[in-house]
Amino acid sequence: MNQPSNECVSETLGDYTLVRLRGEVDLSWSQQVRRAILDALGANTRVGVELSEVSYIDSSGIAALVEGLQSAKTKGKKFDLVAVSKAVMAVLQLARLDRVFTIFPDLDAARST
Amino acid sequence: MNAAPRAAGPEASDGLDDRRALDFLAELSQALALSIDLNKTLAMALERIAEFMQAEAASMFLVDPVTRLIECRFCVGPVDIVGLKVEAGQGIVGRAVAENLTQIVRDAQTDERVNVRVDAETGFVTRSIICVPLTTAEGPIGALEVINRRSGGLFEISDAVLLETVAAPAALAVNNARLADNLVEQQRMKRELELARRTQKSLLPKRRRDNFPLIGINLPAHEVSGDFYDYFDLPDGRIAFVIGDISGKGLDAAFLMVRTASLLRWAGKEGLAPGRWLERVNTELCETMREGRFVCALVGQYDRRDGNVVFASAGFPPALLQDDEGFREFPADGPPLGIMPDISYGETRLSLGTAALYFFSDGITDARDSLRNRIGSAGMRELVVRHLSLAPEPRLRALIGDLKHLDLVDDTTVLLLQEPRGETAQTLLNLQFPAEAAQMRSVRARLRETLDEQAIGPEMRDRLVLAVDEACTNIIRHAYCECSSDDTISLLLKRERDMLVFELRDDAPTVDPGKIAMRDLDECRPGGLGVPFIRALMDDWKLQPGPGGCGNVLRMRKRLRADGMGD
Repeated sequence: MNQPSNECVSETLGDYTLVRLRGEVDLSWSQQVRRAILDALGANTRVGVELSEVSYIDSSGIAALVEGLQSAKTKGKKFDLVAVSKAVMAVLQLARLDRVFTIFPDLDAARST
Repeated sequence: MNAAPRAAGPEASDGLDDRRALDFLAELSQALALSIDLNKTLAMALERIAEFMQAEAASMFLVDPVTRLIECRFCVGPVDIVGLKVEAGQGIVGRAVAENLTQIVRDAQTDERVNVRVDAETGFVTRSIICVPLTTAEGPIGALEVINRRSGGLFEISDAVLLETVAAPAALAVNNARLADNLVEQQRMKRELELARRTQKSLLPKRRRDNFPLIGINLPAHEVSGDFYDYFDLPDGRIAFVIGDISGKGLDAAFLMVRTASLLRWAGKEGLAPGRWLERVNTELCETMREGRFVCALVGQYDRRDGNVVFASAGFPPALLQDDEGFREFPADGPPLGIMPDISYGETRLSLGTAALYFFSDGITDARDSLRNRIGSAGMRELVVRHLSLAPEPRLRALIGDLKHLDLVDDTTVLLLQEPRGETAQTLLNLQFPAEAAQMRSVRARLRETLDEQAIGPEMRDRLVLAVDEACTNIIRHAYCECSSDDTISLLLKRERDMLVFELRDDAPTVDPGKIAMRDLDECRPGGLGVPFIRALMDDWKLQPGPGGCGNVLRMRKRLRADGMGD
């Protein structure tokens, strides 16, 4: 079976750190995703999570995103979701979180705000 | 006249007398309160009272609750008057009860109130009397009487006050004993009703497991039921069935139900055409039925060899046929049984095929929804549709389960005629895998593949995969607590017509379904989303202990729409 491997890469462009996720975010590595998001929020004032290559996300992955949002709020920082895939959007809608997050279509839109 | 109403208070008596009275009263009250055999205790108490009051004779009269006569139940003294009955208002005792007032007679020989008959018959000479009523909140229940001071002197008002004081605990004890008797009687009746209920229930046919096409359920509104159903094999191979509803409720309806059910069974054994069958029972019932009573009944026969069913109805609610084309109703073609003799009943013939035929008493259509409206025949149809995907027996159970949430005002009975479907459940996937988060990716891939083969749309597929994944990760995290490498989960996916059934089994310690965290999806916080996801994505889910109480079985179901989309 041809499964793209899971990946979590953080890139910093000035005051913006982008956490790029790929693959299927589930319980097996959602803790790693959570750590990457919280670290990025510790290091920078604006953090986005890029989700265009995420084909699946479970409730533990959603929990990592919610924790990022809450942590950013407490610290007075910005936290966005960028290029949310259809699969992730369906789960966000199910969890009624699609209006809780700030969602940008791409990185340029996120950075220019 | 020297009858005195309740005296204002004892005349001055020395402290010693007061002390003696108090001791006596305490002792008497305790003896009465602790009494196991009240008759013995009251007899003994009366002797002590006579002694205490220094009286030659004493008697206790009680009012018979049925006849209202006042009867002497206990007495002390030279003449035995136990069993002597007086009417309220008659003599000193009768007056004490009728007026609920203490009576004092200083000179019995000249007092008109005194009944001299006993003296005349026995030679006893009554000189002086005090009689006090035994008073309860509901009025007097008897009287306590003392006769003649032993010293020869007259009774004083202070004696009357003393007697009133000792009468109070006696009245209380007698009243308590009567209430206790009532309670025992009520319990006895409850036991008898329970026995009647069980006897009635034993008249209903046993559930047959051999792929039998008839299932019935009877839900009495009270202990006993006026509804019944029956089915039995005929010698020619057909199956006969009966359902009925007796007018009225309670024990007399229950007795009539027993009689009618026996008559219908007896007349049905011959395999008469349903119309003739009803006619015969109607004639019999009309000869013996009490005014104002009647029986609604439906009888019929089903032939499994050609799938034909024929039935006739005497005032019973319309039969409801449900098949792929929808619903059809078949109303009664004749009045209820037991009203008019020589009635003929029309018959309905059907080819059953795979359809379901429901016969139900008006207890169902009379059930009330939360707004107190009758659910009517539309409500019954709705219930049938709601559980359409289930096999007949679980469907009937689910239907009754829903009905129990409504307000059932009458006995409720359903008889369902439907050929059990063959093995329609198809196993789509049967996986066993280690209970580790790292396994889930390939489990999801297998599940996606399987669902794609069923031509389920991608959105629906992803939702189902998410629900199963959430259930598995809950098992891994919470049931197994991520503790052993030998832990496994098995996933079974079955399809029953348009219903997908997901079954997850584990060997973890049994989880109490009541302790599963429920949170609202509107609440924004990380974690705890798994169960709400399952709840939102599946039609229903149920967590039960595994076979033999080992492990857990989680069953989740989702019905697919014709286009495979669900919802």
